[in-house]
Amino acid sequence: MSSMREIKKRINATEKTSQITKAMHMVSAAKLKKAERSIKAFRPLTKRLSHVLSRVLNSDKELTHPILEGRDIDKTVYILISSDRGLAGPYNNNVFKAFEKYVEKQHQSKDEFEIAALGFKSFAFAKRKKYTLINKEVIQVRDDVQFLDFQSISDEFIKGFLSGKYDKIVVFYNKFINTLQQQVKHQTLIPLQDNPLLQIEDDDNGNAPYRTIYHYEPSASRVLQELLPMYVVNLLYGMILESKASEHASRMTAMKSATDNAKDLIQDLQLHYNRARQDAITIELTDIIGGAEAVN
Amino acid sequence: MKLVVVTPSGELFNETVDYIVISSKNNGDFAIMKDHAPIISAIDVGYIKMIQGDKTLYTVVINGALEQQDNQINIIAQEAHVGLNKDSAMDHLNEVRKERLEANRQRTQDFLQAEKELRKNLREARASKR
Repeated sequence: MSSMREIKKRINATEKTSQITKAMHMVSAAKLKKAERSIKAFRPLTKRLSHVLSRVLNSDKELTHPILEGRDIDKTVYILISSDRGLAGPYNNNVFKAFEKYVEKQHQSKDEFEIAALGFKSFAFAKRKKYTLINKEVIQVRDDVQFLDFQSISDEFIKGFLSGKYDKIVVFYNKFINTLQQQVKHQTLIPLQDNPLLQIEDDDNGNAPYRTIYHYEPSASRVLQELLPMYVVNLLYGMILESKASEHASRMTAMKSATDNAKDLIQDLQLHYNRARQDAITIELTDIIGGAEAVN
Repeated sequence: MKLVVVTPSGELFNETVDYIVISSKNNGDFAIMKDHAPIISAIDVGYIKMIQGDKTLYTVVINGALEQQDNQINIIAQEAHVGLNKDSAMDHLNEVRKERLEANRQRTQDFLQAEKELRKNLREARASKR
């Protein structure tokens, strides 16, 4: 059995660790609330934008755009949304696992796809696995996510898609279900085929709804050209916000269980410590008694 | 006329205005006054001049859309900033953008630096394989 001093040292160390994990748990809880707020603030924009887009698309059935049409797939881009830092439980690993499983099924060789890594962890993952990366530098997913952070990369793949360099863009991310549950999802970002938002809405009786006839400045097709990429980028941004909320939730749960484990461990160690103390006292007593008897 | 400007971080502006002038790089200038026909337009980089009585405000917009129907104007902007003067608003927006990008770059550098140091320390401590 290890000595009392050693056990005491371990108890102290575990206590300190649990203090840290407890603090991290609380920080993540606060950040989760913030992330939820930013998701809420973002919602009106997507709603309005899809509203405008469906108006434009419904105005003329002939209107179309490469983003809306599928084509033969030579090169796929996978966007992996992860966090910058670890200690978030299975958050990052789940994304990577789901991605690897999916890729194994879909592709024969690594040349068929490229990766856009959002977040330090996925960047490191792609480097480690020697996948082709679109971004040469790390794109950070900061806690206060801003649109600007992803502008260069989103411009890159939209341009790549329009020029025919990439044929399909799929995002892997953690969908936020609730604080205890996050689910890894993959969603095709481009082409935007049967997206429900862009379908023509019928009213309850199945009739085509009453529609305002809009004037387009400069023209409907130009407006579509400008707005569709914006819509796609916003879709991605929404997923990033959701991943961010998932990250905090995941870290929160991980830190909570770490704190609980530390508590259990301390209890266990305390038991050992008390036993060791008792043992020491017993030995001391028998020593004294033995000594006293020897004197007599 | 009611005017609402929404950005990814929420509603930026929600007030009544007399009329607005939209000026953008791709479309040039045009104004929307009361009872304008329903219109949808895209804005790449530009500004919106908003007139409320004798007060004039400017919103600079980077990547946005505008929709007007029944005297309700919705402006959806990827990035926007409201100011008293179009130049100062634009400058401010650019300044904020620049600072953010700079901060991001700095963080990336710090990250890489930290990682490098960690790797070096691990090597020196010969603890990496254990």
